[in-house]
Amino acid sequence: MSDAKFFQRGKIQELRLELNSDKKDRNYTRKKQTLKKIVANMTMGNDMSSLHPDVIACMSIPVLEVKKMVYLFLINYAKAKPEMAYEAIQTFRRDVEDPNPLIRALAIRTMGYIHVDKVTSCLIQPLRHCMRDQDPYVRKTAAVCVAKLFMQDRHLVENAGFIDLLREMLVDSNPSVVANAVAALTEISERSDHIQLQLNMSIASKLVTALNECSEWGQTYILESLMFVVPQEPGDAEMLAERIAPRLQHANSAVVLTAVKVIVYLMNYMSREEDILSMCKKLSPPLVTLLSSGPEVQYVGLRNILLVIQKHPEILKNDIKIFFCKYNDPIYVKMAKLEIMFRLASEHNVEQVLSELKEYATEVDVDFVRKAVRSIGRLAVKIESTAQRCVEALLELIQTKVNYVVQESIVVIKDIFRKYPNQYESIIGVLCENLDNLDEPEAKAAMIWIIGQYADRIENSDELLDDFLYTFLEETVEVQLALLTATVKLFIKRPTAGQDLVPKVLKWATEEVDNPDLRDRGYIYWRLLSTDVAAAKAVVLSEKPHISTETDNMDPVLLEELLLHIASLSAIYHKAPTTFIPHCKPRFLIPSPALRRQNYNVGRTLQHQDSYSSLHNSSSAQFHQSQSNVRSSQSDGDDGNGGLDEFVSSPKQPQHQRLSYHEQSFEQVAEASIGNQEYYEQKINAENPYRTDTGAVGGSQANKGGGVDLMSFDL
Amino acid sequence: MTLFSLFTNTHSDLFSDRKVIIEKHWHELIPRRVVDFFNDQVSRAMADGEDVTREDVLPIISSPKYQLINVYRDGLTYLSPVTKEVDPMMVFEFLHRIPDIMQEYFGQVSETVIKENFVTVYQLLEEMMDDGFPLTTEPNALKEIVPAPNILNKVITTMGATTSVSTRKMPHGMSNLPWRKAGVKYTSNEIFFDIVEEIDAIVDSTGKAVSCEAHGAIQTNSRLSGMPDLTLSFVNPRLVDDCSFHQSVRFNKWESDKVLSFVPPDGHFRLMSYRVNLPSQQNLPIQVKPSINIGANGAKFDITVSLRNTDGKPVENTVLTLPLHKSTTTLTAHCNVGQYMFDPVGKVLRWDIGKIVPRERAPVLSGSFGFGSSSEAAGNAGYNIGVEFLINSHSLSGLKVDVLKLFNESYKPYKGVRTMTKAGRYQVRA
Repeated sequence: MSDAKFFQRGKIQELRLELNSDKKDRNYTRKKQTLKKIVANMTMGNDMSSLHPDVIACMSIPVLEVKKMVYLFLINYAKAKPEMAYEAIQTFRRDVEDPNPLIRALAIRTMGYIHVDKVTSCLIQPLRHCMRDQDPYVRKTAAVCVAKLFMQDRHLVENAGFIDLLREMLVDSNPSVVANAVAALTEISERSDHIQLQLNMSIASKLVTALNECSEWGQTYILESLMFVVPQEPGDAEMLAERIAPRLQHANSAVVLTAVKVIVYLMNYMSREEDILSMCKKLSPPLVTLLSSGPEVQYVGLRNILLVIQKHPEILKNDIKIFFCKYNDPIYVKMAKLEIMFRLASEHNVEQVLSELKEYATEVDVDFVRKAVRSIGRLAVKIESTAQRCVEALLELIQTKVNYVVQESIVVIKDIFRKYPNQYESIIGVLCENLDNLDEPEAKAAMIWIIGQYADRIENSDELLDDFLYTFLEETVEVQLALLTATVKLFIKRPTAGQDLVPKVLKWATEEVDNPDLRDRGYIYWRLLSTDVAAAKAVVLSEKPHISTETDNMDPVLLEELLLHIASLSAIYHKAPTTFIPHCKPRFLIPSPALRRQNYNVGRTLQHQDSYSSLHNSSSAQFHQSQSNVRSSQSDGDDGNGGLDEFVSSPKQPQHQRLSYHEQSFEQVAEASIGNQEYYEQKINAENPYRTDTGAVGGSQANKGGGVDLMSFDL
Repeated sequence: MTLFSLFTNTHSDLFSDRKVIIEKHWHELIPRRVVDFFNDQVSRAMADGEDVTREDVLPIISSPKYQLINVYRDGLTYLSPVTKEVDPMMVFEFLHRIPDIMQEYFGQVSETVIKENFVTVYQLLEEMMDDGFPLTTEPNALKEIVPAPNILNKVITTMGATTSVSTRKMPHGMSNLPWRKAGVKYTSNEIFFDIVEEIDAIVDSTGKAVSCEAHGAIQTNSRLSGMPDLTLSFVNPRLVDDCSFHQSVRFNKWESDKVLSFVPPDGHFRLMSYRVNLPSQQNLPIQVKPSINIGANGAKFDITVSLRNTDGKPVENTVLTLPLHKSTTTLTAHCNVGQYMFDPVGKVLRWDIGKIVPRERAPVLSGSFGFGSSSEAAGNAGYNIGVEFLINSHSLSGLKVDVLKLFNESYKPYKGVRTMTKAGRYQVRA
């Protein structure tokens, strides 16, 4: 029997009559049909809320299907009509005591959806019961319900003892219940200002045991929660990683990627290189497998792979072929693959990579072709031995005369000239044949830079520049700046050829253009040239700083943060979650005696801190103070890395601190430790903010027996 | 980690008629406006270039308030707007489960099917997720909570004889094996294994494989009564690596003995998937040799297909597709086997060869095509040929099932194994 007929727009009055009809209704078949019509109308967006007294009257019918539809109706309209929810409370109360566990669970689940204060307060008592229900289905539903309730009323959940009840559920005999409890705790921890989930090794170990038996989604929850384990000894990290490694072979890609995340995280706490290497070896095959899935999964996989290989270049270093693009890959997959190919390119495989890139440059998609051409240039800069072949490839592409290919090639050839000065000037002639076709500012500026740089080698460099200067005032600033500098270079290298052009350009730059950069640069050149030509020469023709593809690397601090968010949105956007998700709790590597030192380049990191602080202008004064602290410790040369570690692990908002408490009363059950605001404020005042290491060691030792494994630290 | 709302809407290139068929919120109501925004973005992306299709639209689109995670399948878009940091892999997995489950329940997925069964669909969605947490997605477990619309159920509802809830026994995935329901009974017990291997390859014009991989999967259809405990062993298990398993498979047994030990779910499921690394091109069963000579106004081409390593088996359902440059207007060709078709709108040449028997004459397609206007881009564009084929009773890896042992039940089941090799993402560059 088809349900499609229910989509016919039913008149409310008719439906009401049908629902209240006195006709004999064996087994409520008629009522069921009518309710189906109502639900169908509701989903079409027709307002059925005026039927609520009649629908609620059906709640007492002891048929699950009917109940489900009535509950669906209630959830849909309760927000708009709270009085409707009040009428249903009595039946709710009856249903949570029903002998059928399905009905108990359905009732508790539905109540959790109804965000009406009166209903919420009626939920507390039954929910507590359900969390200790004898039926695991009810218990697991109740666990999720606590997370639901938390979204509505945080204080209620924190003060009514629900957190403790959830914590008890972590040792439940049913793995599905454990998984849901852990999911609820993680959820609450991520959302709460002053609850922070932290798991010690003994509970982590229990959770890993439950992993084997629970559903695929349950496995993701449990794996995710392992991100809140801070191994105190390297052996802990290795043991845990070893035990979750089988998850890498799960059929569900979410399980796989979450396992990758946890293992990459744990690797920070491993001490022996060979353990790390062996883990890296295990990570490659599952990442490859992700690429045989559908395009969405591939895309998520690729973006995450790009992060992982920056931290651990050993991973996938022999698997470059799987990143070669198929012509019918979606464009976003191709783009992501291209980036990885570039990263994995090395002396060994550069031949293949280059021939692939040449292939891609003949495809139809403009953006992809551009990126391929650009990659050829970057490849030349990255691997010196291949530069010659890359240049040849680019020349071939220029010969195709396809406009955007030519322009893109010229932009990257400029970089090659910068990296390898005076090696490839012979190709300048070919470049100059294409001057007339350049219409993109970046390509124009690149070509002008080349002409200026080699003004003394190009016979007619003055004529070429003169041609460009013809439209000087209409050009973009980028091109104008390039023209200005190139003309000055020409004048210095060949004074007679440049003497007519220079005054013209300087006059335009300083008098006819509004852009302050251009004007300032014009004045500087003017003064230099008019006072001391030798000095001008030294400045303008000075040795250029080296360029390398290092600049393509992601900032290590950001990378570290993103690695803690593998498999999440931020790992796809490659943006810190705090920059686009409101109220997001930042994650950081928590120091422990086992944490490996991060070998960051100090200069780069400091540079990053500046951009960081400007990104987070709202952050407190304490944050800035912490920065200066890091700086001074570095400039003193004493334990610069230690300072950095702390920086990396500093939370940006003070309310997110973890805290320690040593209440032994939690011995039996309190393996997941969670604290409250009052306590932690006292604690912070007592602690020296930079004593994290000792604090952690002490904390872990003091608490080993108790199963509570916490530490506190401040910025 | 959580997904709060789902919109399923139709998508059609020809009409700008995109309507919402399913709307389901597991947390708070997200206004439908978001669907308009999404459709807008899709239209905009597709207007970007003539080659951009719906498949090229990013699976995650940023909007000021939501991150729009979407999956496009069978002409339907499954859209989930999220506001917080989520695991998109999980959302994708979940979104794909929805049509999977509908397929399992209704036999097919389309706008009409969803509308015909929408009450069941909503019940399913209700069970599959709670407050953004995926709940029950195992078809076996779901079928115990939400009955599938089979003939019997229909008869029961029309007769007005409904099963009352209280008489039903406690079901739903809370048994020790969440993937298997209790009390399965068949009069004839049988289990079928399909070993399907797909070749993904990029082959250059000289016939050399630029990259080549094979993925295999063992699709299983189990119709066994009770709680059968199975052990499947292979003659040569070491041929496969990088395996992933259905959750019923005991991983430790595989690690130690290289056998698959499991209690199967009832019905269809994927027991295992694996990867075969192919050492060289010698293993490719088919060779396609294209030659395309491009001039200013058009090109001459011929394509030869020959068999290589097929163990004497014929290659079936062979189809070659050659997308041509957009400026192509005319095409003339001749082939000695099968038939060809030129789609002048999509600019695709499709050559349906069908069955190729070893040692018979090699199929050849030759001809020429012309560009409407001579352009440099058309002259320089690269060409790729997509290849589809299938070889029955052949496994590229050589993986062979040895024995299937059954424990815990006393009956003797019928056991069937089939192997098949086919082209996955297989293409030849011209």
